[in-house]
Formats: sequence, C-alpha cells, structure tokens
Amino acid sequence: MKPDHLNLPPRLRGGRTAKRWEGQTLPASAPSVADKPRHLPRKQGRRISWKPILSIGSPLLLLIVWQAVTAFKLFPPEVLVSPTAVIAAFGEVITTGELQRHLSESLTRLAGGFTIGASLGLLFGLALALSKTVERLFGPTFQALRQVPVLAFIPMLILLLGIDEVFKIVIIAKAAFFPVALAAYDSVKGVPKSYFEVSSLYRAPWWVLISKILIPATVPNILAGVRLSLTRAWLVLVAAELIVADSGLGQMMEMGRQMFRLDIVMVGVIVAGVIGFALDRLFQLLQAHALRWKTA
Amino acid sequence: MDYVPHSQIPGHKSRQTGAVSLKGIKKQFNFKDRELKVLSEFSLDVQPGEFVSIVGPSGCGKSTLLRLIAGLDDTYDGTITLDGQRVAGTSLERGLVFQDHRLFPWMTLEDNIGLALTNRNIPKDAKAKLVADHIALVGLKGFEKAFPHQLSGGMAQRAAIARSLVNEPKVLLLDEPFGALDALTRVHLQTELQRIWLAQGSTMIMITHDVEEALYLGDRVVVMQANPGRITHTVDVNLPHPRDRASPVLHKLKDEILAELTHVPEPSNPVVRLIKGDDQ
Ligand SMILES: Nc1ncnc2c1ncn2[C@@H]1O[C@H](COP(=O)(O)OP(=O)(O)OP(=O)(O)O)[C@@H](O)[C@H]1O
Ligand SMILES: [Mg+2]
Repeated sequence: MKPDHLNLPPRLRGGRTAKRWEGQTLPASAPSVADKPRHLPRKQGRRISWKPILSIGSPLLLLIVWQAVTAFKLFPPEVLVSPTAVIAAFGEVITTGELQRHLSESLTRLAGGFTIGASLGLLFGLALALSKTVERLFGPTFQALRQVPVLAFIPMLILLLGIDEVFKIVIIAKAAFFPVALAAYDSVKGVPKSYFEVSSLYRAPWWVLISKILIPATVPNILAGVRLSLTRAWLVLVAAELIVADSGLGQMMEMGRQMFRLDIVMVGVIVAGVIGFALDRLFQLLQAHALRWKTA
Repeated sequence: MDYVPHSQIPGHKSRQTGAVSLKGIKKQFNFKDRELKVLSEFSLDVQPGEFVSIVGPSGCGKSTLLRLIAGLDDTYDGTITLDGQRVAGTSLERGLVFQDHRLFPWMTLEDNIGLALTNRNIPKDAKAKLVADHIALVGLKGFEKAFPHQLSGGMAQRAAIARSLVNEPKVLLLDEPFGALDALTRVHLQTELQRIWLAQGSTMIMITHDVEEALYLGDRVVVMQANPGRITHTVDVNLPHPRDRASPVLHKLKDEILAELTHVPEPSNPVVRLIKGDDQ
C-alpha cells in the first residue's frame, strides 16, 4: 500500500503552518478538496512494474524446485508426482467434469454452513456485547468452547449426526461461528465511551447512533472476523471431506490417494489453496472498501 | 460588582439568555472503595453573554465541572440552572468542545458537523446551509469533504468548534480547546474564538491551563484549587474586547494569578477578590 500523502492534494498533507488559515477563508484559487479530484493520478514509477514479478516469484521458485526434485528422481514417482503429470491430471479431471462436480459440491456446502455459522455468530456476538444477562449466562461457556479445535468435535458429531450433509454443514457452521462472534463482541465492547458522549451531546436519534456511529465503528473489525471465519470454514470443510464424505474436493483427493493417483491429490491441494486465497482476497477488498476513508 | 455589562462593550451582540448558575455543587467519585471528593461547594453565577475563564491545577475538577454543566453526568449534589431552568441531561442549548477534537474519523468535515443537526427538525437544505456557514465561520472553506486525518491539529479543533456552534447554543463550554496546539496556532485560534464570541454573543465558559489565554479572552477569570476542587479567587478583567495582548493590566493580573496558583492558599480565606485593573 502507498503512503497516504501520495494521494493527497498539497493542502491536505497535514503540517501545522499557521499561515494557512490566517485569512478567514481560503483564496478562491487555492486548490481544495472541493475542486480537485481526491485521487490524483498516481505516478507510477518503474519500480511498481516489478511488483507482480516479485509476488509470483515464490510460487515460481517452488515450481522449479518441485520439477527439479522429480526430474532427479529424489523420491519415487508414486510418492512425488511431477508438475507436468499434475497438469495432465488437471486436464483429465476437468474434461471428465469431475473437478467441477466436486468443487461445486464443496462450495455449496461452504456457502450453506458459512452463512448459517457467520450469521449466528454475528447475532450471538452482538447479544453478548449488548446484554449483561446474555454475557453472564453464556460468556464463560463461549470462551471455553471457542478454545476447542473444530476437528476435535468430528468424532462426536459423526456419532450424533452421521456423515450426511447435516454433519458437514454443522462442522462448517461451527468453524465460522466463533471468529465472527468474537469479532462482533470485541468490536462492540471496544467502541469508545467518547463516541456515545458526542452522540448524546448532540442528542442524535438512536438510528443515527447506530447507522452513523456504531456500524462504521465496528464493521471493519467484524469484517476481519468474517474473513477469518470464511478461510477457517474452507480449511475445515476440506479436512472434513477428507475424513468422511461421498463428494467434494476433499473426497476427490481421498479417492485419488486410495487409487495411488497422487497427481489428482496434488490437483486437489492446488485448487484448495487457490480457492482459499481467492476467498481471502475477496474479503480483503471488502474490508478495504469499509475503511476507504483511511486512504482517501 | 462594578463590572461592565456586555451590552456596553462595543461590538458585542447583546443577549438576554444564557445565564448559568451553579449553586453548592458537590461531586465525588468512588474510586477503589474510596470516596474521592472532586468538587465541594462550588458556586458560580455567569451572566448572559459573559466569557468566563477557569484556571486551576491539574485534577482540580475542571473537566468534571464542565461535564456536569453539559449534562453528561447527572450524579452530583447542588443545582445547575440555565436561565432559571434546572439542567437535566444533555441539550442543544449547551454546547461542549472537548480537549481532543472528537471528530469521527470516517466522516468528512461536513458530515461531522452535520451530525450535530440530526436532532433538529429543519429542512435538509437549511441544514446544509448551517453547516456551510459554520465551516466558513471557522475558516475551513474548501475542506468540506476532507476527513479528520487530512486536517492539521488546529484545523480539527476549529472543526470541533464549528460543530459545537452549529446549533447556536446559549452557552458554549470549552475544555482546554487549544491545549494540544502549538503557541502560534493557539494565538490565532484565540483571536478567532473572540471574533466568534463577539459575533454570536453566546455565554462561554472556557477551561485553560494558560493564564495569558484566560485573561486575554475572559471577562472574568476563576481560579480553582484542588482537593477538593473549589474557587479560591475570581478576577474581573475590565478591558474592552478585542484586547491588546501587550496591555500592562493583563500582565499585572497574570503575575497575580500565577502567584496565586503557585501558592498554597489559606483555607480560612477562600474567596479573595483581586483588584480590578483600571480601564486603559
Ligand atoms: N470517571 C471517574 N472516576 C473516578 N475518578 C474520576 C473520574 N473522572 C475524574 N476523576 C477524578 O476527578 C478528579 C478531577 O478530574 P478532572 O478531569 O475534572 O480534572 P481536571 O481539573 O480537568 O484536570 P486536568 O487539568 O488535568 O484536565 C481527578 O482526581 C480524577 O482522578
Ligand atoms: Mg481536564
């Protein structure tokens, strides 16, 4: 990210010179926020064009090392397949439609479980922060339960729910629930008392307090929680599918392993990584949007 | 009291409203099972349109006092009235400028000032005009769309003053409004504040650590002492506004107040009226 001052019109670059406001109003010719676009065209130096190369550098290096290791046959090919074999397997699972089918199964599950878990987490976190009674009743249980890794619940949940769809949805919802609940709780609790005082001083109506003060004050942190919960849910989903599932990306990998098709396992690993990365970036953009005033 | 009423000060818009009366204010905090007496028998009458400066050592209860008048804290003994009406809770008639500007970082300057008007039942364009007028009043024209982090400290503080003035409160309470600013910026903002006060004619009660500032702006300077917070001196500054900073009268009064502030006061003689300076 660029430092703020690159985007600012000169008058807005801070500093405390007294001269600037000696007159009651600014001279009409003075550049101001009103008559200048806030985002001045960025000067793109040569350095910036190197950035994409830098960020693809490490995957490229990984690929080269991988290819070299397989070319020199440091491991038997059944254990470590070559990148070219993986590319071939990619073509195979795409043409048979296998990848698309498993992936859409996984993403549907993710959407269901994540939506349920994150919404419940948001509601619970808000209730916990806003009501002393709810906090007293559920606070300690919440703090204890969130310390238990999701995967530790799998055996118990299998006994209770079987290995059907409900089980997978519940496990994803559980994974999504806690980061959002915690973020909602913390960010509401963390709203400074001074915000309420200013609101009270100007007798702002409650809907103004909520929409103009509380939501902007808490949403960026809640979004960070949602982002964490989404990537967690994805990790847990793939892991759960590896253990028990009849479809989904994890199951595709598990089948590949059982049939000694490590090239297909590698396809699964790469797709899982790319999807996780994409989901994370998506939320990062949302977060940046919520905090756009910071870089304005 | 031979003190010149505001109607006689040239340029001052006279007002009939904005009389603040504090009677026997007692305030204590419970701090670690201990009762901390912050204000004790604090009484003060402020005339409509008067500018009262309050100086006193750190922790003597100045901010607490302003919070009580503003209605942010209702737990105290004694009575506070504005134009004879007991104050209860916050009101748009009583404005407060905090020591830190307290602008919301995600709102532009005009939205921050507009927030003060959300409880007013007036048309949208009238609100927009009020906001624009007050931005111009504090000399921030052109920065309507700027976020607080794009303003200097002095500009942000002026924005906070504009926000507190936009409802034209009968009384404006200022808690060390220029405390965090450099000396040069302070001098400029003091002049600005005086200009605004003369134009609007509202009552002002300002807390400051700067005795010079207190004397330059105040019709009266109230000197407080701590433990418990109480008034030990009241100094009338009988000079017309706007004042000459180099006035020998101000210098003499400054020395007296500084001597008082650096001295432990005699408890047997709590209120001593210092002599008033002759006009010119
Ligand atoms: N919420 C609170 N709970 C407990 N004690 C408090 C509280 N607010 C203030 N006090 C105490 O009241 C006393 C007066 O505080 P106050 O902020 O009014 O001082 P002040 O005169 O404004 O000081 P300064 O000039 O440093 O701003 C202090 O001793 C402070 O510790
Ligand atoms: Mg204070």
